[in-house]
Amino acid sequence: MGAYMSEKKYTKDHEWVSIENEIATIGISNHAQESLGDIVFIELPSVGNSVKAKDEICVVESVKAASDIYAPIDGEIIEVNNNLENDAAIINQDAENEGWIFKMKISDSNQYSDLMSEDEYKKFLEQ
Amino acid sequence: MPFAGFNMPINYKTGIINEHKNVRNHSGIFDVSHMGQILIENNESYLHKLEKYIPLQLKNLIKNRSHYSFLLNNDGGVIDDLIISNIDIKDKPYLYIVYNASRKKEDEEIFISCAPNAEKIYNKNCLFAIQGPDSINVLKNIIDIPNSMNFFDILISKYDNNEIIVSRSGYTGEDGFELSIPNESAENLITDLLKNENTMLCGLGSRDSLRLEAGLSLYGHELNENITPIEAGLSWALDKERLEDKNLNGNKILSDQLKNKLSNKKIGLISTNKSMLRDGMTLFDNNYNEIGKITSGCFSPNLNKSIAIGYIKSEFNTDNPIFCEIRKKLELVKINNLPFVKKNYKKNGSVHE
Repeated sequence: MGAYMSEKKYTKDHEWVSIENEIATIGISNHAQESLGDIVFIELPSVGNSVKAKDEICVVESVKAASDIYAPIDGEIIEVNNNLENDAAIINQDAENEGWIFKMKISDSNQYSDLMSEDEYKKFLEQ
Repeated sequence: MPFAGFNMPINYKTGIINEHKNVRNHSGIFDVSHMGQILIENNESYLHKLEKYIPLQLKNLIKNRSHYSFLLNNDGGVIDDLIISNIDIKDKPYLYIVYNASRKKEDEEIFISCAPNAEKIYNKNCLFAIQGPDSINVLKNIIDIPNSMNFFDILISKYDNNEIIVSRSGYTGEDGFELSIPNESAENLITDLLKNENTMLCGLGSRDSLRLEAGLSLYGHELNENITPIEAGLSWALDKERLEDKNLNGNKILSDQLKNKLSNKKIGLISTNKSMLRDGMTLFDNNYNEIGKITSGCFSPNLNKSIAIGYIKSEFNTDNPIFCEIRKKLELVKINNLPFVKKNYKKNGSVHE
């Protein structure tokens, strides 16, 4: 398990976020990849962009539909997972590790504590 | 997901792409019991009434053959597309018609008005399709299928002591069969078919990507009441003599369309990068003039790119670049002849062109 697995949290838009040293790593949850089905393409965000929480910043295309990916918190995009350019199906295989989508430097760590814990997310899915 | 009043699976556990490839390489089973199935007594008075809507010479339909056709409205627009077959059931001659679930209400109003004793059989018979090059071998272990059976042949066979209607047809571009079977035997049949380890259940998702690769039209997308079969590039399915017959709805409009240039034409498109072409997207020329719309789009597992069918203005010169608006950006797309993937039917004559 990579370092970005530490203290993972979830959004209502089915994204996961983990933070280490003010750097957040973001992807879509395993539940999200299961609902989307085979993922065939991802439009990655641009490195250097400053974004606000809930901004649409990139798109995941599956055989079923296009889904927007939102910034979970305010910050600046500092890295994207270029492996997904050639093989977006990595998200289907390992959504919450190797299938990470982008990293951002966060501006307000308080926003992070507002997100759901893994247990809270599981309960959210059951609703 | 809800589909024409039914709860239908988009895919089973291995996913759309895997189901799609399994049909192209081996075989796959589709439960299409949601579709309409009706039996109409094959008598002259009913045939004459039906010929107002159906652009075929119904009395000349060959026994034990199926035909792709339409119900047409007054303007020659497509009320529905359907498969109509001439077949004897318990020694009585019938027309057996399979039609779209989403059009049951409209279609049945017409069928019943032409033939009041028409018998809807979809509540007592399931309809399954087995599609793919291995279909014949999977099916032969379970049901008697004569070697001479060609694509669009139809016959009565037996399973579990029940009569079942077997047609060599489908909507994937592959060889395959459709089986209309009484409900009480349906589960046994599926269980028997699935004993072959290379076959699997397939959902609506792969059914759509398979038919799109095969360039086949889908009602509600390429076809609707405002589009004639000629505008949809399906004039091959019309009996040309019937276009001179005033008894056929829209006959004048259709025969004029055959002689004159159409305002739109149906085209196949393929994306030049990895973005997905989808139903409803708008097409532009390089001066940002709107030239058409996509009516169906999907990811093509065989081509590993997104493909689409759409309509563009006939006057547009297709040597010029075409752009598709995807999320407010213009992406270059290329014209691709239909079908995208070669059809693989067992036949002597031609069926779908």
